Amino acid sequence: MSEKKNITDDHHHPHDHAHSHLPSDPELRVKAVETLLLNKGLIDSQTLDELIDTYENRIGPKNGAKVVAKAWVDSEYKKRLLNDATSAIRELSYQGRQGENMVVVENTPETHNVIVCTLCSCYPWPVLGIPPTWYKSDEYRSRTVREPRKVLLEFGLSLDPKVQIKVWDSTAEIRYLVLPMRPQGTENMDQSELAELVTRNSMIGTGLPKEIK
Amino acid sequence: MSRLHDMGGRFGDGSIPVPRDNDNEITNSEPTFKYEWHAKAWAITLAAGALGEWNLDISRHYRECLPPKDYINFSYYEKWLAALTNLLIDKKLVSLDELKEYVSAAKNGTLTKFSDKDIKLDHRTWLAKDVQKTLGWGGPSIRDTNVNSVFDIGDKVITQNYSPNKDVSGGHTRLPKYAMGRVGVIHSYHNNHVFPDKNAHGFGENPLPLYTVEFKSSELWGELAESQNDSILLDLWEPYLKLFPH
Repeated sequence: MSEKKNITDDHHHPHDHAHSHLPSDPELRVKAVETLLLNKGLIDSQTLDELIDTYENRIGPKNGAKVVAKAWVDSEYKKRLLNDATSAIRELSYQGRQGENMVVVENTPETHNVIVCTLCSCYPWPVLGIPPTWYKSDEYRSRTVREPRKVLLEFGLSLDPKVQIKVWDSTAEIRYLVLPMRPQGTENMDQSELAELVTRNSMIGTGLPKEIK
Repeated sequence: MSRLHDMGGRFGDGSIPVPRDNDNEITNSEPTFKYEWHAKAWAITLAAGALGEWNLDISRHYRECLPPKDYINFSYYEKWLAALTNLLIDKKLVSLDELKEYVSAAKNGTLTKFSDKDIKLDHRTWLAKDVQKTLGWGGPSIRDTNVNSVFDIGDKVITQNYSPNKDVSGGHTRLPKYAMGRVGVIHSYHNNHVFPDKNAHGFGENPLPLYTVEFKSSELWGELAESQNDSILLDLWEPYLKLFPH
C-alpha cells in the first residue's frame, strides 16, 4: 500500500471540472446530459420512464405502512421483523435496492427512534420510496444528531424528557425503519385500516401514526 | 479534516423545511419528484450507474469531491448531475468535446434526440425489461468471508480521531467527523460488508466486520447535549475502532 500513501484525492480531477462546462439552468443541464447519453445508446428512454413510474406510483411509504400494520396485529411477525427485518419484509415481497440489509427499531413508551443520514441521504427505498426533500436537507442532516428534540418539535412532536431518544445515523448500507407504537383505541381495526394510520414520518421517527378521531 | 458533506452536528443551519398543506398541517405526501428534471437527473444517474463502470462508493465520493463552493450552491439533484458528469468524463464514456457540443446545442435550442432507429444501444445498457428484476436484486454489500470480528457486543471502543482513510489523503470514509475520537459501546454486529474506504478508490471490496456503535449524547456533545439520556448510533467498520482501555 505504500505506493498509494501520498495520493491526494483532488489530484484525480483536473482543476477545471467537467461539470463546470454545464449550463447554469439545471433543466437545460439535465437535458444536455440526458440527450447525449441517449444518442450514444448508453441509456434507454424506456428504462428512465420505468424507473420514474416505479418510484412515483409503485414503491413508497404504503409498503412500509403494510409492514407496520402487520407487526401490530401479528406478534409472531413482529418478532421476525425485529429479529431479521430483511427476511420479514421480503415476506411481503418488498426487497432490493437500498433495502438489502434492513433493521427495524421499535418505539416503546421509554424509547423513541429517529433515522437520519448525516453523510448523504441513505433511506430504505423498498419500504419508503425516494426520500422527501427535508430528509435530504442540510438542516435535517446537520441538526438531528446534535439536537433531535428541537428537530422533532419542528415536526410537531414534543417528547417527554424521560423518553430516551435514539438517533440512528445510516453511515453504512444498513437501512432503518421505525416501528411506531400502535395508537390507542384501535383494538377493533383490521390490518388494512391500521395501515391507513401509518404515516411516512412515523416510520422515520419524525412523526406519529394518525390518531383516530 | 473532512469535507462539506460531513455535516452532522454543524452549527448554522436553520429550521427543517417541513412541508405543510393548505391547512398548515404537516404533510406526508409531497410528490416524489418536485420537478421533472429532478426525476430525470435521478433516473439517468441510476441508468448510467448500471453500465457497471463505477460502484456506489465511487459515485458517493464523486459527489463529496465537488468543490466546496459548488457543493454549497448546488441543490440535491444538481450535485447528482455534476458528479455524474465528472464520472462520465473520467471513465471515458463521454468525451469533453462531446459534452461541450451538447451543452452548446442545449444553450442554442438545437439539441436533438436521434430517432430510435438511429440509436445503437451499447451492450451494457440497462433495458426497461430488466428494471424490476435488477431493482429487486439490489446490490447487497454483505460478503461471506473468513474474516472474524474482533469486538463483542458490549465492548467499549474508541473511534479513530482523524480520517481513517490511510491510502488516500482526503479519501472516502464513512466515519463522520462528529464521532471521531469518541468512546462508544458495540451495540450489534452485522457480519462483513464491502469497505467503502477502499471500494471508493478502486482498491477492491475488502469486506470487513461492520458494527453498530452506540454513543451517549453527552460523549458527542458534552454540555450541549439536550439530554444525558439520549444516544446516537452509527454503523462503523472495524478499522474505525479500537478497544477502549479500561
